This record gives sequence, structure tokens and C-alpha cells, in this order.
Amino acid sequence: MSISMSFFSPPPPTHLLISFSSKPHFTDKTIFFLRPANPLLLSAPKVSTDNGAGISAAIEEPKAEQKVAEPAGSAPEGEESSLGSNGAVADAGVKLESKFVDPRWIGGTWDLTQFQKDGSTDWDAVIDAEVRRRKWLEGNPESSSNDDPVVFDTSIIPWWAWIKRFHLPEAERLNGRAAMIGFFMAYVVDSLTGVGLVDQMNNFFCKTLLFIAVAGVLLIRKNEDIETLKKLLDETTFYDKQWQATWQDETRSSSTAE
Amino acid sequence: MTSSIAFKSFTGLRHSSAEPPKLHSQLHNISPPNYCQRRLQITAGISSPKLQNRNLRVAVIGGGPAGGAAAETLAKGGIETYLIERKLDNCKPCGGAIPLCMVGEFDLPLDIIDRKVTKMKMISPSNIAVDIGQTLKPHEYIGMVRREVLDSYLRERAASNGANVINGLFLKMDIPKGGRGSETAPYVLHYTEYNGKVGGAGQKKTLEVDAVIGADGANSRVAKSIGAGDYDYAIAFQERIRIPDDKMVYYENLAEMYVGDDVSPDFYGWVFPKCDHVAVGTGTVTHKGDIKKFQLATRNRAKDKILGGKIIRVEAHPIPEHPRPRRLSDRVALVGDAAGYVTKCSGEGIYFAAKSGRMCAEAIVEGSGNGKRMVDESDLRKYLEKWDKTYWPTYKVLDVLQKVFYRSNPAREAFVEMCADEYVQKMTFDSYLYKKVVPGNPLDDLKLAFNTIGSLVRANALRKEMNKLSV
Repeated sequence: MSISMSFFSPPPPTHLLISFSSKPHFTDKTIFFLRPANPLLLSAPKVSTDNGAGISAAIEEPKAEQKVAEPAGSAPEGEESSLGSNGAVADAGVKLESKFVDPRWIGGTWDLTQFQKDGSTDWDAVIDAEVRRRKWLEGNPESSSNDDPVVFDTSIIPWWAWIKRFHLPEAERLNGRAAMIGFFMAYVVDSLTGVGLVDQMNNFFCKTLLFIAVAGVLLIRKNEDIETLKKLLDETTFYDKQWQATWQDETRSSSTAE
Repeated sequence: MTSSIAFKSFTGLRHSSAEPPKLHSQLHNISPPNYCQRRLQITAGISSPKLQNRNLRVAVIGGGPAGGAAAETLAKGGIETYLIERKLDNCKPCGGAIPLCMVGEFDLPLDIIDRKVTKMKMISPSNIAVDIGQTLKPHEYIGMVRREVLDSYLRERAASNGANVINGLFLKMDIPKGGRGSETAPYVLHYTEYNGKVGGAGQKKTLEVDAVIGADGANSRVAKSIGAGDYDYAIAFQERIRIPDDKMVYYENLAEMYVGDDVSPDFYGWVFPKCDHVAVGTGTVTHKGDIKKFQLATRNRAKDKILGGKIIRVEAHPIPEHPRPRRLSDRVALVGDAAGYVTKCSGEGIYFAAKSGRMCAEAIVEGSGNGKRMVDESDLRKYLEKWDKTYWPTYKVLDVLQKVFYRSNPAREAFVEMCADEYVQKMTFDSYLYKKVVPGNPLDDLKLAFNTIGSLVRANALRKEMNKLSV
């Protein structure tokens, strides 16, 4: 009971919707609010595995909730009332959704004032929070509502925050690969042909090899990328082939007609 | 001499039917040098024999938008037209959206449009909602129609222009075998005629015609008879829900599109307003078995807005994803859904069905000189040529959009983000409402490309982080 008290005290009334959440999420959310930092990593995956399968797991869901309900010991009335309101829409397939709740998620967007660190906004934390929200929603799709619409736009996060976090590590890795390949190949070519580095750069064949090496490093980052590239190439021309199919006919028939 | 008729008949179309006899008499005055010169340009209809004592007979199988438009154009062109439709009051499951240009091009009366949608809401997987439609001018809208109203209007107009509307079910077609004389041998259609006198089972009948337009939809029997080949198709599943009046106000002139893996792996879920209810549905090509699951997810996403609604009808229908391998065989042509003219990305088919029906009929009218001579395959090929040339860019662009933006959740998030941009909205609506791929301002296009790549990169970066979380 004390747990539920601490839950209901801080945030604005819209978050009371949590009252008809399913049981396991209820307990997770309380841990969430008491110590925001660490258990997020624990709670998020746990939550997603519970609801991971999506709507088709609706039948199993109530049973799982029942089992966990005993230790949590929270009130069941919230659930029943929501069943009543949902029942009018359709049959029993619609399962109860718990909404994504976070003290920093206010009015359908992230409240940047709560992400301050040393006087300026901690963009990494904003990115982390949005990632968690999307992960949650993938496992528990929510109804979009007109009363509290989501208005968050990822472009409010400045470009340098994205570059620092995502582009730079990847760029470092790719440049490292390119440098290793470049050094090794330059050494091999030099030892085989005696042509030094400067003379290699003047040679057309070596320049072509260099171009291929750079393109390869950029395009093929994982083993699977080779297959992906081949499929992409097929995809770009597939639709065209489907449209041209009727004309293959014509060349055959017109040649026989003559 | 025959070439000059084929040449002049194009202008002949513009005149009333009294004109052709005059043109006919003129042909005897054409001197041989002209004839030899024109022979190089025109290949159609030269060797086609003139029909004695009768006009060209063409049957249109299927009385939807494609069939109705085709029959009207044929009848207006002086051709003996038969329109065979199996269910005259068919209430077809369909999104029911028609672009603005269709109203003008087909002279549709405004009272068959139930609603004028002027706002759309795109909702991303993480429920980011974007309103589009601010760039629409006051006279621009997307028309929502009831198929039974539209289809019967087009059919009746065809009938009033002289087409014979037959209530019957097309069974099969006897194709004239190749060899000498086959260019003029008729196609024999076997159908079951339903008329009130005979009763429920109907009466088997046959009909001889010179050319056939197959407008009988996604499961076309005409296509099967000519061995047109198969296509991939999507299943669109839709529930019509009557919602309380206060909730209906929100959908007064607004349609919604939901994207996400939960709603469909390769398409979108929608809420479209109809005359007095909403249609909530979704579709998929690759995961047809899970369609019910996707429908539940769609209803869930719109839950707050359709709460308290009652399902009044459940329907499903196939949507072709690409044209059939063969859209034409000898004097049989396919149009509309039977040919597979549904765009990707938006799944729009009504306008293209009607337009292709009209284009095919125009090609037949032109190739036959207003019904005076037999047509052959090359006349019908002209319709295919014109169609592909006019609408290929539209189809290709929508295909690219689908491939890029319906791939995955990050791509869909980027898609919705892009839709918030005014330039995107203007381009989208201009090309949708007027069916022209308009190249915009190059500087804006560059900015758009930049922003698209930015959105895609951001969304994919977030997704990579999401994957790290679950591990």
C-alpha cells in the first residue's frame, strides 16, 4: 500500500490512467519512479517480454497477470471498469493496454527542463528516453488519443548530438578498417612490385583498387550486407520488370505476325 | 484510302455521329501518292476489313468504375456495346476515395460524394501524429463515395448513351483459333443471364462480339481465359463501425492513416469516414494469415476515437500489387483491377480503373473508326502504350516511396516526420489530386532530400539503440 501511495503522489492527473494497468507493469513502474537510473534497463526488457508477442497473446495475458497479481496485491477494480468501456467496441480480442508513463514525458513530448545536466540539456539522456519509449510502444502499442497527442519531433535534438553519439563511433570503426586495409595493401604491392607509395598513387590501376577498397569498406560493414546489396539491386528493377512483362509479349507476337 | 480514314477518324471522334458518313465518302477522292506516304506512319487498321452492315460489337465484362467508363466511351463512339455485370446493386468493400481530378474528368455530380476529406492525420508507430492538409486550397478535397452509388451512376450513364447493360455472370469465352480468317472471327461469350422472369438460377446464354474489355476486377475470369498470368495481391480487411455522433464530429472531414509493424508489416491501417459511419481497416501482402491480428491492432490504436462504436459490417477484398504479365491478348484487353492498376503505397484504384477503361475504349473507337471497321491487337496496344507513358512515373514514384518508407518502423517514423513538412504536403496532394508527377522547385527538392535522409538516419539510429536495449 505504501508503494501505491508514493506512486500516486508526484505526477499530473493524466498519469492516473495507470490505475487500470496490468499487474506486472504496476510493480515495474513503482521501481521506476523510486530509482529512475538503473532499473530502467531491467524493467524495460522485462516489460517487453511480457507483452512481446502482441495481440495474439491476449488469451495468455490475463492468465499471466493472474499469477503475478498475488504477490503484487493491487486492486482489481480498475481492470473491470476498463473492460466495461472496451467491451462496446468489439469482442474480447481488445486487451488492456498500460500507457507509457515517465515523469519527464509531459504533454506528449519530452520536457527538456528535466534533462538538465551541468546547466545544459543532456541530449544523450533525451535520446535514451525516446529509445525506451519506442521500445515500450513496439511491445505495447498504444491507442493514439486526441486528448494527449504525441508531438515529439526528433529534430529538436541538435545535429551535433546525433553525430557525436552515432556517427563518430561508426566513422572511427570504418576509418580504422580503411587504414588497416590501405597500409597492408600498400606494403604488399610495394614488396611485390617495388613501386613506392607515392608512385602507387599516380598509377591508374592502383587508384581503381583504392576506389574499390573505399567503396567496399563503406558498403559492406557486416557479412550480411553482401546479400542485402544484391537484394536491393533486384528490388529497384523488379517493379519495372513487372510492368514491362506485357511488352515482352508484343515483340514475340509482332515478329510472328510479320 | 483506308489509311486516311484511320487518320481522319481521330478528328471524327469530336464530331457527332452524323459526320462519319461524310468522311467515308471523302476517301474515294484521296490520290494514291498520299496513300503511299501515309502507309509508313500508320500500321493500325490498314488491313482491317470494313464491317458490312453493322458496327463493331464490344463486350465489357464487369460493371464497376472501369466497366462503366469503358462502356460509356464505347457507346458514345458509336460502337455496339454490351456491359455484363453480375450484381447490379453490389455494395463493394472499398476505401472509396477518389481524387479531385476524377470529379472533373468524369463529370461526376457532386451529390454522389458523401464526404469531402480535407484533412488527414498520419500516425507513426510511436503515436507521433502529424496533420496534413494545410496546403489544400478551399476547393480541393478527397472525395469519399459509396461504391454502389458511383458504380450505378457510371453504368446508368453508359446505358443512356446506348450501351446494353446485361445482368449476368460471365462464365467463359471461346477464343477464335489462329489461322486464316481468325482476325474477324468473333469471340463467343458464355454467360448466365439473371432476369426476374426466369428466377434465381438464371439462364445460360451466349453472345458473339468482336472485342472484349475485361473489367471484372481482381479475380478476373477474362484474365484467366486469356492466360494473363497472376499477380501478387494484398488483402484489405475492413470493418465498418458506427460510432457515437460526438465522436463522428472528429471524422467530419478527416481521415487517418496508422503505420507501424503492429498495424501492418507492409501497408497501413486506416480510419476513413463514410456517409454515417467510419471504416476501420488494414491490409497486407506478406502476412495475410495475421490480418485479424493487424485489424485488432488498428482498432486498438484508434480505440479512444472509436470507443462505443458498433461494428455493422465486416468485409475483405484483394488488392493487386502490380500489373499482370499479360494485359492484352489479341482483341481482349484488361483494364482496372483486372489488369492490376492499383498504385503501391496508397493502394488507390478507383480513378485508375475508370481512366484505363476510358483509355482502352478510346483506343478501340479510334482504331475502328467509330465502329466502322474491325480492330486488331495493335489498336489495343495503343491503349497500353498511352497508359504506360502517362502513368508510369506515378506508379514508379509510389513504388519507390513504399519501398523506402514502409520497410520498417524507423522508416515509418521518418515517413511521418517528413509529412510534417509543408513542401512535402503540397507535393503529395498536388500529385494525388491531379495525378501528375510535378517536379517542384529544385532547391526545395534538395532540402527535402536532405531532410528525408536526416529523418531516416535518426530513426534508424534510434532503432539500433532499441535493439541494444533488449539484449
